Amino acid sequence: MTHCRKENLVHFAVTIISKDRPGIVADVTEVLFRLGCNIEDSSCTMLGGDFAMILIVSHEKPFTKAKLVDEFKELHERTGLVTYVRTLSEAEICPIKEEGELCLISVYGSDQPGIVYRVTRVLADHRVNIADLNTKLIGTVEEPVYVLMLEATLPDGVTIDTVSGLLENLRKELKVEITVRSITPVAL
Amino acid sequence: MPSQKILLYPHPILKKMARAVETVDDEIKGLLEDLIDTMREGPGSVGVAAPQIGVSLRVCVVDVSNSKLGKENNHGLLALINPEIVERDGEAFMREGCMSVPDYTGDVARSTRVVIRYLNEQGIACELEATGFEAVALQHEMDHLDGVLFLDRIASIKTGLFRRKSYR
Repeated sequence: MTHCRKENLVHFAVTIISKDRPGIVADVTEVLFRLGCNIEDSSCTMLGGDFAMILIVSHEKPFTKAKLVDEFKELHERTGLVTYVRTLSEAEICPIKEEGELCLISVYGSDQPGIVYRVTRVLADHRVNIADLNTKLIGTVEEPVYVLMLEATLPDGVTIDTVSGLLENLRKELKVEITVRSITPVAL
Repeated sequence: MPSQKILLYPHPILKKMARAVETVDDEIKGLLEDLIDTMREGPGSVGVAAPQIGVSLRVCVVDVSNSKLGKENNHGLLALINPEIVERDGEAFMREGCMSVPDYTGDVARSTRVVIRYLNEQGIACELEATGFEAVALQHEMDHLDGVLFLDRIASIKTGLFRRKSYR
Protein backbone atom coordinates (compact mmCIF):
# COMPACT_ATOMS: atom_id res chain seq x y z
CA MET A 1 0.00 0.00 0.00
CA THR A 2 1.24 3.44 -0.84
CA HIS A 3 -0.53 5.20 2.04
CA CYS A 4 1.68 3.73 4.74
CA ARG A 5 3.74 6.89 4.96
CA LYS A 6 0.75 8.87 6.26
CA GLU A 7 1.03 9.45 9.94
CA ASN A 8 -1.61 9.59 12.62
CA LEU A 9 -3.82 6.99 10.95
CA VAL A 10 -5.24 3.78 12.35
CA HIS A 11 -6.02 1.01 9.84
CA PHE A 12 -8.62 -1.77 9.97
CA ALA A 13 -9.35 -4.79 7.80
CA VAL A 14 -13.13 -5.13 7.50
CA THR A 15 -14.59 -8.36 6.14
CA ILE A 16 -18.28 -8.44 5.30
CA ILE A 17 -20.47 -11.24 4.04
CA SER A 18 -24.14 -10.91 3.21
CA LYS A 19 -26.77 -12.80 1.27
CA ASP A 20 -26.74 -10.94 -2.02
CA ARG A 21 -29.22 -8.09 -2.58
CA PRO A 22 -29.05 -4.62 -4.13
CA GLY A 23 -27.66 -1.97 -1.74
CA ILE A 24 -25.04 -3.85 0.30
CA VAL A 25 -22.12 -1.67 -0.83
CA ALA A 26 -24.13 1.51 -0.30
CA ASP A 27 -25.19 0.38 3.21
CA VAL A 28 -21.64 -0.49 4.24
CA THR A 29 -19.94 2.56 2.76
CA GLU A 30 -22.61 4.82 4.25
CA VAL A 31 -21.53 3.65 7.72
CA LEU A 32 -17.87 4.24 6.85
CA PHE A 33 -18.59 7.66 5.36
CA ARG A 34 -20.61 8.73 8.40
CA LEU A 35 -17.70 7.76 10.65
CA GLY A 36 -15.17 9.60 8.50
CA CYS A 37 -13.32 6.43 7.42
CA ASN A 38 -11.34 6.34 4.20
CA ILE A 39 -11.41 3.19 2.03
CA GLU A 40 -7.79 2.61 1.04
CA ASP A 41 -8.11 -0.73 -0.69
CA SER A 42 -10.98 -3.06 -1.40
CA SER A 43 -12.11 -6.17 -3.16
CA CYS A 44 -15.82 -6.96 -3.34
CA THR A 45 -17.40 -9.75 -5.31
CA MET A 46 -20.23 -12.21 -5.54
CA LEU A 47 -19.31 -15.68 -4.30
CA GLY A 48 -22.08 -18.16 -4.91
CA GLY A 49 -25.22 -16.41 -3.63
CA ASP A 50 -23.33 -14.28 -1.13
CA PHE A 51 -21.71 -10.93 -1.61
CA ALA A 52 -18.28 -10.67 0.03
CA MET A 53 -16.38 -7.51 0.78
CA ILE A 54 -12.85 -7.03 2.09
CA LEU A 55 -11.94 -3.43 2.84
CA ILE A 56 -8.85 -1.78 4.24
CA VAL A 57 -10.07 1.41 5.90
CA SER A 58 -8.24 4.15 7.73
CA HIS A 59 -9.28 6.80 10.22
CA GLU A 60 -7.44 9.59 11.95
CA LYS A 61 -6.38 8.79 15.49
CA PRO A 62 -7.87 8.56 18.02
CA PHE A 63 -10.43 6.07 16.76
CA THR A 64 -11.30 2.67 18.15
CA LYS A 65 -12.20 -0.66 16.64
CA ALA A 66 -15.11 -0.81 19.11
CA LYS A 67 -16.65 2.29 17.52
CA LEU A 68 -16.51 0.66 14.08
CA VAL A 69 -17.94 -2.63 15.35
CA ASP A 70 -20.77 -0.78 17.15
CA GLU A 71 -21.82 1.09 14.05
CA PHE A 72 -22.01 -2.13 12.03
CA LYS A 73 -24.16 -3.80 14.69
CA GLU A 74 -27.25 -1.90 13.62
CA LEU A 75 -26.71 -2.94 10.01
CA HIS A 76 -26.38 -6.56 11.11
CA GLU A 77 -29.64 -6.40 13.06
CA ARG A 78 -31.49 -4.74 10.21
CA THR A 79 -30.15 -6.78 7.27
CA GLY A 80 -28.38 -9.87 8.60
CA LEU A 81 -25.07 -8.75 7.15
CA VAL A 82 -22.06 -10.16 9.03
CA THR A 83 -18.98 -8.06 9.74
CA TYR A 84 -15.56 -8.90 11.12
CA VAL A 85 -13.14 -6.08 12.00
CA ARG A 86 -9.41 -6.44 12.70
CA THR A 87 -6.95 -3.68 13.61
CA LEU A 88 -3.86 -3.72 11.39
CA SER A 89 -0.37 -3.39 12.80
CA GLU A 90 2.16 -0.97 11.28
CA ALA A 91 3.97 -3.89 9.63
CA GLU A 92 0.79 -5.04 7.92
CA ILE A 93 0.11 -1.57 6.54
CA CYS A 94 3.55 -1.36 4.94
CA PRO A 95 4.21 -4.81 3.46
CA ILE A 96 7.50 -5.59 1.75
CA LYS A 97 7.05 -4.85 -1.94
CA GLU A 98 7.34 -7.95 -4.08
CA GLU A 99 9.78 -7.54 -6.96
CA GLY A 100 9.98 -10.30 -9.49
CA GLU A 101 8.51 -11.63 -12.69
CA LEU A 102 4.75 -11.70 -12.58
CA CYS A 103 2.91 -14.64 -14.10
CA LEU A 104 -0.64 -15.79 -14.64
CA ILE A 105 -1.34 -19.48 -14.04
CA SER A 106 -4.58 -20.90 -15.35
CA VAL A 107 -5.71 -24.39 -14.39
CA TYR A 108 -8.90 -26.03 -15.63
CA GLY A 109 -10.34 -29.50 -15.86
CA SER A 110 -12.95 -31.90 -14.45
CA ASP A 111 -14.03 -30.88 -10.98
CA GLN A 112 -12.32 -32.83 -8.20
CA PRO A 113 -11.20 -32.07 -4.66
CA GLY A 114 -7.66 -30.84 -4.19
CA ILE A 115 -6.92 -28.79 -7.31
CA VAL A 116 -6.26 -25.54 -5.41
CA TYR A 117 -4.30 -27.29 -2.67
CA ARG A 118 -2.08 -29.33 -5.00
CA VAL A 119 -1.22 -26.38 -7.25
CA THR A 120 -0.60 -23.86 -4.46
CA ARG A 121 1.48 -26.33 -2.42
CA VAL A 122 3.90 -26.74 -5.34
CA LEU A 123 4.12 -22.95 -5.68
CA ALA A 124 4.58 -22.40 -1.94
CA ASP A 125 7.38 -24.99 -1.78
CA HIS A 126 9.28 -22.92 -4.36
CA ARG A 127 8.57 -19.55 -2.68
CA VAL A 128 6.27 -18.40 -5.48
CA ASN A 129 4.07 -15.70 -3.95
CA ILE A 130 0.37 -15.61 -4.88
CA ALA A 131 -1.03 -12.09 -5.27
CA ASP A 132 -4.48 -12.92 -6.58
CA LEU A 133 -6.52 -16.10 -6.89
CA ASN A 134 -9.99 -16.80 -8.24
CA THR A 135 -11.83 -20.05 -8.79
CA LYS A 136 -15.11 -20.80 -10.53
CA LEU A 137 -17.14 -23.90 -11.16
CA ILE A 138 -18.41 -23.84 -14.74
CA GLY A 139 -19.70 -26.38 -17.26
CA THR A 140 -22.81 -28.47 -16.66
CA VAL A 141 -24.23 -30.31 -13.64
CA GLU A 142 -23.28 -33.61 -15.28
CA GLU A 143 -19.83 -32.46 -16.26
CA PRO A 144 -18.64 -29.69 -13.95
CA VAL A 145 -15.41 -27.96 -14.92
CA TYR A 146 -13.24 -26.29 -12.32
CA VAL A 147 -11.33 -23.13 -13.29
CA LEU A 148 -8.51 -21.68 -11.19
CA MET A 149 -6.76 -18.47 -12.18
CA LEU A 150 -3.95 -17.10 -10.12
CA GLU A 151 -1.42 -14.35 -10.38
CA ALA A 152 1.95 -14.87 -8.74
CA THR A 153 5.37 -13.29 -8.33
CA LEU A 154 8.36 -15.49 -9.07
CA PRO A 155 11.41 -15.32 -6.78
CA ASP A 156 14.91 -14.89 -8.23
CA GLY A 157 16.07 -17.98 -10.07
CA VAL A 158 12.57 -19.26 -10.80
CA THR A 159 11.37 -18.71 -14.38
CA ILE A 160 8.08 -19.24 -16.20
CA ASP A 161 9.56 -22.45 -17.63
CA THR A 162 10.61 -23.63 -14.16
CA VAL A 163 7.06 -23.18 -12.85
CA SER A 164 5.58 -24.85 -15.90
CA GLY A 165 7.94 -27.78 -15.36
CA LEU A 166 7.11 -28.02 -11.67
CA LEU A 167 3.41 -28.28 -12.48
CA GLU A 168 3.93 -30.88 -15.24
CA ASN A 169 3.38 -33.86 -12.94
CA LEU A 170 0.14 -32.37 -11.59
CA ARG A 171 -1.07 -31.81 -15.13
CA LYS A 172 -0.88 -35.56 -15.75
CA GLU A 173 -1.97 -36.69 -12.31
CA LEU A 174 -5.05 -34.49 -12.01
CA LYS A 175 -5.76 -34.59 -15.77
CA VAL A 176 -6.11 -30.81 -15.93
CA GLU A 177 -4.83 -28.17 -18.31
CA ILE A 178 -2.21 -25.84 -16.84
CA THR A 179 -0.85 -22.76 -18.58
CA VAL A 180 1.78 -20.45 -17.15
CA ARG A 181 2.38 -17.15 -18.92
CA SER A 182 4.24 -13.96 -18.19
CA ILE A 183 2.15 -10.86 -17.57
CA THR A 184 4.96 -8.56 -16.58
CA PRO A 185 3.70 -5.01 -17.14
CA VAL A 186 5.09 -2.89 -19.96
CA ALA A 187 6.01 0.73 -19.24
CA LEU A 188 4.67 3.10 -21.89
CA MET B 1 17.44 19.58 -25.22
CA PRO B 2 16.69 18.72 -21.63
CA SER B 3 14.56 15.88 -20.42
CA GLN B 4 11.21 17.27 -19.25
CA LYS B 5 9.16 16.49 -16.18
CA ILE B 6 6.37 14.00 -16.86
CA LEU B 7 3.00 15.36 -15.79
CA LEU B 8 0.92 13.09 -13.62
CA TYR B 9 -2.83 12.61 -13.67
CA PRO B 10 -4.95 14.58 -12.57
CA HIS B 11 -3.15 17.32 -14.53
CA PRO B 12 -5.91 18.62 -16.86
CA ILE B 13 -3.74 18.57 -20.02
CA LEU B 14 -3.70 14.77 -19.87
CA LYS B 15 -7.48 14.64 -20.40
CA LYS B 16 -7.57 17.26 -23.15
CA MET B 17 -7.75 16.71 -26.93
CA ALA B 18 -4.40 17.96 -28.30
CA ARG B 19 -4.26 20.41 -31.24
CA ALA B 20 -2.92 19.41 -34.65
CA VAL B 21 0.46 20.86 -35.66
CA GLU B 22 0.08 23.33 -38.52
CA THR B 23 3.71 23.93 -39.46
CA VAL B 24 6.69 21.74 -38.73
CA ASP B 25 9.09 24.48 -37.63
CA ASP B 26 12.06 24.72 -35.27
CA GLU B 27 9.74 24.84 -32.28
CA ILE B 28 8.24 21.46 -33.21
CA LYS B 29 11.70 20.04 -33.88
CA GLY B 30 12.75 21.22 -30.41
CA LEU B 31 9.64 19.61 -28.93
CA LEU B 32 10.53 16.32 -30.62
CA GLU B 33 14.04 16.45 -29.14
CA ASP B 34 12.59 17.12 -25.69
CA LEU B 35 10.26 14.15 -26.07
CA ILE B 36 13.09 11.85 -27.17
CA ASP B 37 15.27 12.92 -24.24
CA THR B 38 12.37 12.48 -21.83
CA MET B 39 11.63 9.00 -23.19
CA ARG B 40 15.29 8.01 -22.80
CA GLU B 41 15.25 9.19 -19.17
CA GLY B 42 12.03 7.34 -18.29
CA PRO B 43 12.31 4.04 -16.39
CA GLY B 44 12.10 1.53 -19.26
CA SER B 45 9.89 3.90 -21.23
CA VAL B 46 9.23 3.20 -24.91
CA GLY B 47 7.26 6.33 -25.75
CA VAL B 48 6.17 9.80 -24.69
CA ALA B 49 3.44 12.07 -26.00
CA ALA B 50 3.62 15.87 -25.96
CA PRO B 51 0.70 16.33 -23.51
CA GLN B 52 2.69 14.30 -20.98
CA ILE B 53 5.26 17.10 -20.84
CA GLY B 54 2.62 19.82 -20.82
CA VAL B 55 2.38 20.60 -24.54
CA SER B 56 -1.09 20.04 -25.96
CA LEU B 57 -0.01 19.28 -29.53
CA ARG B 58 -0.41 16.11 -31.61
CA VAL B 59 3.20 14.99 -31.38
CA CYS B 60 4.68 11.82 -29.87
CA VAL B 61 7.76 9.62 -30.00
CA VAL B 62 8.05 5.84 -29.80
CA ASP B 63 11.07 3.55 -29.74
CA VAL B 64 10.65 -0.08 -28.75
CA SER B 65 13.99 -1.22 -30.19
CA ASN B 66 15.67 -1.48 -26.78
CA SER B 67 12.86 -3.35 -25.04
CA LYS B 68 12.67 -7.11 -24.64
CA LEU B 69 9.29 -7.32 -26.33
CA GLY B 70 10.03 -4.98 -29.21
CA LYS B 71 13.65 -5.52 -30.18
CA GLU B 72 12.94 -8.13 -32.89
CA ASN B 73 10.23 -6.15 -34.60
CA ASN B 74 10.44 -2.36 -34.82
CA HIS B 75 11.06 0.74 -36.92
CA GLY B 76 13.63 2.18 -34.51
CA LEU B 77 13.04 5.68 -33.24
CA LEU B 78 9.77 7.14 -34.50
CA ALA B 79 8.99 10.85 -34.23
CA LEU B 80 5.35 11.35 -35.19
CA ILE B 81 3.51 14.57 -35.94
CA ASN B 82 -0.28 14.53 -36.36
CA PRO B 83 -0.39 10.71 -36.45
CA GLU B 84 -3.62 8.90 -37.33
CA ILE B 85 -4.50 5.25 -37.52
CA VAL B 86 -5.85 4.48 -40.97
CA GLU B 87 -6.11 0.71 -40.64
CA ARG B 88 -6.23 -1.66 -37.70
CA ASP B 89 -6.90 -5.32 -37.06
CA GLY B 90 -6.45 -8.09 -34.52
CA GLU B 91 -6.84 -7.78 -30.78
CA ALA B 92 -4.63 -8.79 -27.87
CA PHE B 93 -4.40 -7.88 -24.21
CA MET B 94 -1.26 -6.53 -22.63
CA ARG B 95 -0.71 -5.26 -19.12
CA GLU B 96 0.14 -1.60 -19.56
CA GLY B 97 1.62 0.98 -17.26
CA CYS B 98 2.02 4.69 -17.90
CA MET B 99 4.51 7.23 -16.56
CA SER B 100 1.61 9.67 -16.03
CA VAL B 101 -0.35 7.18 -13.91
CA PRO B 102 2.29 5.69 -11.61
CA ASP B 103 1.68 2.70 -9.33
CA TYR B 104 -1.03 1.11 -11.46
CA THR B 105 -1.09 -1.22 -14.41
CA GLY B 106 -4.04 -2.69 -16.24
CA ASP B 107 -4.85 -5.18 -18.99
CA VAL B 108 -5.80 -3.26 -22.12
CA ALA B 109 -7.04 -4.69 -25.44
CA ARG B 110 -5.18 -3.21 -28.43
CA SER B 111 -5.11 -3.89 -32.15
CA THR B 112 -2.24 -6.19 -33.05
CA ARG B 113 -1.60 -4.44 -36.37
CA VAL B 114 -1.98 -0.77 -37.22
CA VAL B 115 -1.21 1.38 -40.24
CA ILE B 116 -0.32 4.93 -39.27
CA ARG B 117 -0.17 8.08 -41.38
CA TYR B 118 1.88 10.96 -39.98
CA LEU B 119 4.33 13.75 -40.71
CA ASN B 120 7.96 13.07 -39.89
CA GLU B 121 10.37 15.60 -38.35
CA GLN B 122 10.95 17.14 -41.81
CA GLY B 123 7.20 17.61 -42.27
CA ILE B 124 7.04 14.88 -44.93
CA ALA B 125 3.90 12.74 -45.06
CA CYS B 126 4.73 9.12 -44.21
CA GLU B 127 2.93 5.87 -43.60
CA LEU B 128 4.06 2.81 -41.67
CA GLU B 129 2.70 -0.54 -40.64
CA ALA B 130 3.42 -1.68 -37.10
CA THR B 131 2.66 -4.96 -35.36
CA GLY B 132 3.14 -6.49 -31.92
CA PHE B 133 4.53 -4.40 -29.10
CA GLU B 134 5.37 -1.46 -31.37
CA ALA B 135 1.70 -1.31 -32.43
CA VAL B 136 0.64 -1.33 -28.75
CA ALA B 137 3.09 1.46 -27.88
CA LEU B 138 1.90 3.59 -30.80
CA GLN B 139 -1.75 3.19 -29.79
CA HIS B 140 -0.95 4.06 -26.17
CA GLU B 141 0.95 7.24 -27.12
CA MET B 142 -1.65 8.28 -29.70
CA ASP B 143 -4.37 7.88 -27.06
CA HIS B 144 -2.57 10.60 -25.07
CA LEU B 145 -3.16 12.97 -28.01
CA ASP B 146 -6.91 12.41 -27.58
CA GLY B 147 -6.82 12.83 -23.79
CA VAL B 148 -7.36 9.10 -23.29
CA LEU B 149 -5.47 7.21 -20.56
CA PHE B 150 -5.09 3.43 -20.35
CA LEU B 151 -7.45 3.61 -17.35
CA ASP B 152 -10.19 4.59 -19.83
CA ARG B 153 -9.65 1.36 -21.75
CA ILE B 154 -9.55 -1.28 -19.01
CA ALA B 155 -12.27 -3.80 -19.74
CA SER B 156 -12.62 -5.48 -16.35
CA ILE B 157 -11.84 -3.96 -12.98
CA LYS B 158 -11.75 -7.35 -11.30
CA THR B 159 -9.01 -8.75 -13.47
CA GLY B 160 -7.92 -5.66 -15.31
CA LEU B 161 -6.51 -3.30 -12.74
CA PHE B 162 -3.47 -4.17 -10.71
CA ARG B 163 -1.04 -2.37 -8.53
CA ARG B 164 2.21 -1.98 -10.37
CA LYS B 165 4.73 -4.58 -9.28
CA SER B 166 7.82 -3.57 -11.23
CA TYR B 167 9.15 -2.09 -14.44
CA ARG B 168 11.08 -4.34 -16.80
